[in-house]
Amino acid sequence: MAKVEKRRALSQERLREFLREMLLIRRFEEKVEERFRAGELPGFLHVAIGQEAVAVGVCQALEDGDVFASTHRAHGHTLARGTHPNAVMAELYGKLEGCSHGYGGSMHLYDVERGNLGANAVVAGGLPAIVGAGLAFKLRDEPRVAVAFFGDGATNTGTFHESLNLAQLWKTKSLFVCENNHWAESTPGWQHSPVWDDMSKRALAYDMAAVKVDGQDVEEVFEVTREALERVRSGEGPVFLDVETFRMEGHYIGDAQIYRSKEDRAEAAAHDPIAALRERLDLADEEWEALDGEVRGVVEASVEFAKAGTDPQPEDALKNVYA
Amino acid sequence: MSSEVKLPRLGQGMEAGTIVKWLKAEGERVEKGEPLFEVDTDKATQEVEAEASGVLLRIAVASGEVPVGQTIAVIGEEGEELPLPPPDASTAGVPGAATAGDGRRHDGVTELPQVEEGAAAPVGARDTSGGGRRDESVPAAGAGAGRVKASPLARRMARERGVELAGLRGTGPDGRIVAEDVERAQAAAAAAPPPAAPAAPAVPAPGEVERIPLTRVRATIARRLTAAWEVPVFQLTVSADMTLATELVERARELNPGVRVTVTDLLTKVSAMALGRHRGVNVQFTEEALLRFPAANVGIAVAAPSGLVVPVIRSAERLSLAEIAARRTDLVGRAREGRLQQQELEEGTFTISNLGMYGVEQFTAVLNPPQAAILAVGATERRPAVRDGELVPRPLMTMTLTVDHRAVDGAEAADFLRTVKSFVEEPALAL
Amino acid sequence: MPELTYRAAVRQALADAMRADGDVFVMGEDIAEMGGSMGVTQGLLDEFGPERVRNTPISEMAIVGAAIGAAMQGMRPVVEIMYEDFLTLSLEQIVNQAAKHRYMSGGQLKVPLTIRTQGGAGWSPGAQHAQQLEAWLVHVPGLKVVFASSPNDVRGLLWSSIYDDNPVIFFEHRLLYPIKEEAPAELEPVPIGKARVVREGGDVTVIATGPLVHRSLKAAERAEADGISVEVVDPRTLQPLDVDTLVESVKKTNRAVVAHEAVTRMGFGAEVTAVLQEQAFDWLDAPIERVGAKFAPLAFAPAMEQFVVPQPDDVLAAIRRTVEREQ
Repeated sequence: MAKVEKRRALSQERLREFLREMLLIRRFEEKVEERFRAGELPGFLHVAIGQEAVAVGVCQALEDGDVFASTHRAHGHTLARGTHPNAVMAELYGKLEGCSHGYGGSMHLYDVERGNLGANAVVAGGLPAIVGAGLAFKLRDEPRVAVAFFGDGATNTGTFHESLNLAQLWKTKSLFVCENNHWAESTPGWQHSPVWDDMSKRALAYDMAAVKVDGQDVEEVFEVTREALERVRSGEGPVFLDVETFRMEGHYIGDAQIYRSKEDRAEAAAHDPIAALRERLDLADEEWEALDGEVRGVVEASVEFAKAGTDPQPEDALKNVYA
Repeated sequence: MSSEVKLPRLGQGMEAGTIVKWLKAEGERVEKGEPLFEVDTDKATQEVEAEASGVLLRIAVASGEVPVGQTIAVIGEEGEELPLPPPDASTAGVPGAATAGDGRRHDGVTELPQVEEGAAAPVGARDTSGGGRRDESVPAAGAGAGRVKASPLARRMARERGVELAGLRGTGPDGRIVAEDVERAQAAAAAAPPPAAPAAPAVPAPGEVERIPLTRVRATIARRLTAAWEVPVFQLTVSADMTLATELVERARELNPGVRVTVTDLLTKVSAMALGRHRGVNVQFTEEALLRFPAANVGIAVAAPSGLVVPVIRSAERLSLAEIAARRTDLVGRAREGRLQQQELEEGTFTISNLGMYGVEQFTAVLNPPQAAILAVGATERRPAVRDGELVPRPLMTMTLTVDHRAVDGAEAADFLRTVKSFVEEPALAL
Repeated sequence: MPELTYRAAVRQALADAMRADGDVFVMGEDIAEMGGSMGVTQGLLDEFGPERVRNTPISEMAIVGAAIGAAMQGMRPVVEIMYEDFLTLSLEQIVNQAAKHRYMSGGQLKVPLTIRTQGGAGWSPGAQHAQQLEAWLVHVPGLKVVFASSPNDVRGLLWSSIYDDNPVIFFEHRLLYPIKEEAPAELEPVPIGKARVVREGGDVTVIATGPLVHRSLKAAERAEADGISVEVVDPRTLQPLDVDTLVESVKKTNRAVVAHEAVTRMGFGAEVTAVLQEQAFDWLDAPIERVGAKFAPLAFAPAMEQFVVPQPDDVLAAIRRTVEREQ
């Protein structure tokens, strides 16, 4: 399999859109960190800082009707697919106006209207359903694709292997996006996988088409995803994207990363996808300020919205158990 | 011309009477209509008037039991020849003397007292064992055992039917009392006490067992209640919140200073009203037919000197509360003195027995045959109750209705009792 | 009326549903040409083809998970897990995913999935092929659990399970497959959540599931000879449980025995016992008895298997204990 040629086919307009989307995620995640430290957010949270290009690149390439399942690090995917920051922030605050109506929280963000089949707190837990959705689309002959996000840590689970095997066997309309940031919580890649330096080998084991992607280049992510989706949509079989990316923060908010060297952290910071795109677009300072200001405003407003939201009644806990 | 004084039949079912006391002496003039002697019948001791004027020439039976119709005296003109043999020396009756042997005592009143408003039982030790607990089967004291082993069903049945678990023999595993054991116990000899007359006799000398001959009344009570026990009955129990009832009684007392209205009077009135709405309870069973009565003649169980009597307030549904109170005061007063008329004891259709004065929380009365129902009333006391989801103390009074199942079914009786309870709790509903 | 075996009844329900509804499909190990290890799906491949009757690799996690995914997209997959012992391999997807998607999404998703499986003792299957694990699944909010004991019931309940919009774990039992019963030609749906009084009686209620329904009926006949009138009730659905029917029966008879083939300790019977004593305490004339397997894995040697698994005599002994007297 070949590395996709970088095509500079996207307009400045489009790229600026991507930048805004990525910056929105970045500022949202920073705000979430701030609010968490202020003691306002229950539960635990995993921010996607550093991995915004993957979220935006993939989600921007999806069509209407495509669905996806995410991981515990789901804010980026959710926002990138179009769920309003108000709804996401409200969910983090546990309000009825949240996208899961207070029932899910950070690790169970759902927005079924936008094809978001849920973030999953069980590593690789969402993969089989993506195989099944892809099967349904195939059986019904629908031009839709099911996308699974997961990290390098997930590639060791039985679920992952069973899912790739079945998807390839039945040629389901599924796209597997491995966000390879070389960390499974506190365990570095070399410590958890024999093929950590070439995750695409996992796919090859199942005879599945695999593509390596630079996850910090949003344009590349977008282009590769678009091609892969076309292929999957045609019924040729699933595709595995081995996306190299960087986790710029800890595993969860509050993780001191005592297991991670300064050099490693510095390397991650040096691969900031937003900084890279900003430079590439050669934005003037005022433009950047304006963009940043707009996005920060949206994020601030989402916090206000969430704080003013409605708390569920305690008895609401007994609803939605059964259809 | 002399006339014989014969013992009259003073009531239905009377076959004999015990002459207790002559109110005129031999040789005394008596006018027709004057009280001549006192006789002890099945139900009461009462005066009998002379049916002729003249001189009481001879008292043939000074005291003792005589069959109805037997000549007991002669009234005539002085000097007339008498057809009778001379009086039996051993039964020379002395007017005014209290004769021995009938167990009659003039000790403490045993009229059923008014139930005071509020909680505290006025006399004697309370029958409760811990705040507000219902009359439950109490853990056995038998042979230092401690806890009675009984199935939940057996416990509930014992509670509902007023059967004491302690002392029952359990036939379940490990001697556990099971439902069958409770049923057997209930069907056997009486476990539920009849309305009691609590008068205590004088304490005999230590070591001496007293034999107290049965009075006519006592023997009759025993006979009639044994017969009543064979009637298939069921009991229904409710508790009523007495808040409004006691206020009403208070108010009635203020409005009627001449008479002391009591809770018993209120119960008489509401029972009568309820019987008017549930005529199926105002009945009596006979082999040929069910008799249904047009009026509610409510009897009040009273402990008279000679034993239990039940004077009847006729057509209580037509009387006001004050009228009932006046009637009751009169009847109970004379019952206490043993001066009830036979007809005042007759034609009752329903009976109320109130032991609340003794602190009894709840009891089951035995039917007063041939009536189909009797209401046993306990003390009003503050017990925990739930109102609007809150635990609050309320003045509650427990009533148990015993019903002749041959004449009345469960639903009808329950409906009646529910009406009684609702009238007691909200007297305005009875209007 | 013609007779129908339990096995054929399951097959008929599957076939009827697949004919009526293109969204229904079945998948599992060896279910296509072979017709399933218990022969239940025989003939389905011929009628419906390999797209809708899918053999799967040995991947319980992925099989169940894929079914979850298809169900979330509106299909009605019926998964066969060959032995309920292997449910354990797919529990992560059943418990963490299927049972919780609707809830965690605040009501946005439905998972109309049916998982059929079979288990139980008989013919020395050995410890890893014989378990009865229904209690584990009843314990998970969001799942429904069904366990029918007769051909008519299994047919009608499988239909209802397929058309229920919740994940249903549908238990069958190997010893029940050959049993026959008169059945109408047309499938009659049986509602989920309704118990059935299989035998009326007045002295003691036996609440039984699966093969223990039949063993309890045998015990009931023998008890009848002793003058004990036994009522046998089959809950049929374990979750949601038809508490009203069970309680009504116990209030009538005042005695209860709960019987299942699964291990007694922490079994489904413990839940039923607790519910009965909560709701019918004052009607109980004896402690509630439980009948189930003894607390050991299932041994291979027939004599040992027989010893551990509850037999009609065990039910009879329990019945007798409820009416026991000292004298």
